[in-house]
Amino acid sequence: MKTTLTAMAVALSATAVFAEEKVTIEFAYPYSHLFDVTYEAMMPAFNEAHPNIEVKFRATYESYEDGTNTVLREAVSGNLPDVTMQGLNRQAPLVDKGIAQSLEPFISAEADFEKDGYHQAMLSLSTFDDQVYGLPFSISLPVGYYNLDILKEGGITELPKTWDDVIAACKTMKANGIDNPIFWGWNITGNWFMQALLWSQDSAIVKDGRVTMDSPEALVALEQMQEIFTECEMKNLEWKAALASFSAGEIGMMFWSTSALGAVERSQGDFELVTGPFPGLNGAPMGLPAGGNAAMLTSTSDDPKVREAAWTWLKYITSGEGAAEVAKTTGYMPPNKAANEIILADFYEQNPNKQTAVDQLPLLRDWLAYPGDNGLAITQVIYDGIERIVTGDATDMKELQEELVEEIADLLPNG
Amino acid sequence: MAAIDAPAAARAPREVNRQARTAWCLASPALALMFLILLVPVVVAGVLSFTNYSLGNSGFDWVGFENYDRLFSRSTYEKMFVATFTYVAVVVPISVALGLGAALLVNSLGRIGDVYKTIYFLPVMATLLAMAIVWEFMLHPTIGVINQTLELSCGTFLEVVPFLANGCADGFPLWLGDRDYAIWVLCFIGIWQGFGFNMVLYLAGLTAVHRELYHAAEVDGAKSAWERFRLVTWPALGPTTVFVVTISCIRAFQVFDTVEAFWPQGGGPNKSTYVMMFAIFEKGVQQNLIGIGSAITMLFLVFVMFLTLIQRWLVERKVHY
Repeated sequence: MKTTLTAMAVALSATAVFAEEKVTIEFAYPYSHLFDVTYEAMMPAFNEAHPNIEVKFRATYESYEDGTNTVLREAVSGNLPDVTMQGLNRQAPLVDKGIAQSLEPFISAEADFEKDGYHQAMLSLSTFDDQVYGLPFSISLPVGYYNLDILKEGGITELPKTWDDVIAACKTMKANGIDNPIFWGWNITGNWFMQALLWSQDSAIVKDGRVTMDSPEALVALEQMQEIFTECEMKNLEWKAALASFSAGEIGMMFWSTSALGAVERSQGDFELVTGPFPGLNGAPMGLPAGGNAAMLTSTSDDPKVREAAWTWLKYITSGEGAAEVAKTTGYMPPNKAANEIILADFYEQNPNKQTAVDQLPLLRDWLAYPGDNGLAITQVIYDGIERIVTGDATDMKELQEELVEEIADLLPNG
Repeated sequence: MAAIDAPAAARAPREVNRQARTAWCLASPALALMFLILLVPVVVAGVLSFTNYSLGNSGFDWVGFENYDRLFSRSTYEKMFVATFTYVAVVVPISVALGLGAALLVNSLGRIGDVYKTIYFLPVMATLLAMAIVWEFMLHPTIGVINQTLELSCGTFLEVVPFLANGCADGFPLWLGDRDYAIWVLCFIGIWQGFGFNMVLYLAGLTAVHRELYHAAEVDGAKSAWERFRLVTWPALGPTTVFVVTISCIRAFQVFDTVEAFWPQGGGPNKSTYVMMFAIFEKGVQQNLIGIGSAITMLFLVFVMFLTLIQRWLVERKVHY
């Protein structure tokens, strides 16, 4: 007994000495079902390259909304992590409230930052007032997932290009005895699919600090959704259940973010899966919102060693080898030229399903944040509105639009 | 303690005074803690409910009764009240009745009653959140156990049941994703989880019913089991029933874990399961809107306070024998 105690004491003091030499930084990220494998794949190489930095992972955020909110709470209680991954559409509030810190001092200290592969178009997603506040880590775009076995059984030979094609395909499949032809990801985070239908018409959901739910384009988007949901008789599946059903080979077409491709392929049943470009309203979409997340520095430490370690980690995961793991383990695209063009040169040839989103890159638009403190509440209002279309509670889209406009006006800073 | 004689009696007021002071001194830590931990937060929430404070902001504006006004005028909150009261009105009577029934049956058994006691109490001991995840798997529309079991009935004589016939033709309900079923599924899980607790309370109540009362009733001509229950057991369980109903009501008002596990965003299809606790969580914690969150909290406290007062009134009025 005594010897065990002594042994334990020795072991404890040994680890304490060992830990003193190490700089510990704390880190948190969202969506464990997507990214756990990514960070697992990155850690061995990072530990080898930087043995003196220990990265402590905090509990993962359930979603981007949860991530923002957790950081806001942590800012009030004073225990922010050193580095946090935030949804591209949730960076603005953290910059406004002074929680995220500018990365310019670190960037200017780097000798050849541009050469590391960060290109301007991607950095602009995280640039506020000419200062870079975040390094994009993963970028996604909406795509179509198709179960070719079900499509063939349902008598569909060509992938749909517009939503009308999709609806027609639904009807053919229904007629051929397919119960569950489609899942359309309306319930994805941050009203992303609403913004996708708006960007498809080249219309932004936020213009000059105003939410444009009252625009004719918004009505078109709502009506298009209603048409898809009712004509296809889409079931109101919770998104995790939908992903599980699709992976199990029970849904013919699924419209979702390319980000889930890694997760779907890992749990895929016995069927042939292809991805195709996101359909448009009339012809191809004119734009699509960029999804994904960026690494932000939120360290409150005064210790330059900790800040330097945080920057090293932040740079590692967003560049070169680190970023390449993102593409390998998920369906996201690394926002880094070096990773995309050099390290992953023949990767996309071998994984054509992941190529679909890369082909759509020219359509990349901002995933917009709603202004003011009520940003999260506005997201919820639009979510609830779309849900009413799916469940068949709202039938008159004009009326629904008016209600949404009214409720959002309630939540905006200037009425 | 001191022997009382004439001069001591003159000192008595001072003695009493000193005792009172000591009593206050001894009670003060508990009082201070009660004040700090229980009352101050309620007052703070009450004050915040008149503001538009959002977490992370340095200041706030007074908005008067605007938050309360919204609670009673917006359709979202109307759905909140409907969901909460439906849940309470369904779960409380059924879980109390089942608890009583189970307690009577278990009580009439000998040794084997312990086995039933354990089985019925299992869901109470299990974490509701963990159980909710299990239910979520079972209720999955296509690969869940429940719908797959229902599918087994297709093509058999069971199809005469309209529900099964419809299910076989157009697919079985989505349960959690269906606005007509969601709240009932939630109620079912609430009852499944809660009635074992009520059973234990009733079992404790039953031990306090005197055997002699049954003998006396039998002498007086109460022969059937129903009469014995109506004339002896039920009245004797009066205080227990008041307690069980109040506790069940408060627990039903507090339902949260299942909603959060099933519908982390939005509170169910069409907000049909948007119960008060979830609304508080969504507004105050998820969206950082402390003002409106506090207003819902105050309303919640009023409901619970009201229930407690009714319980007190009943206990004092008539349920003691």
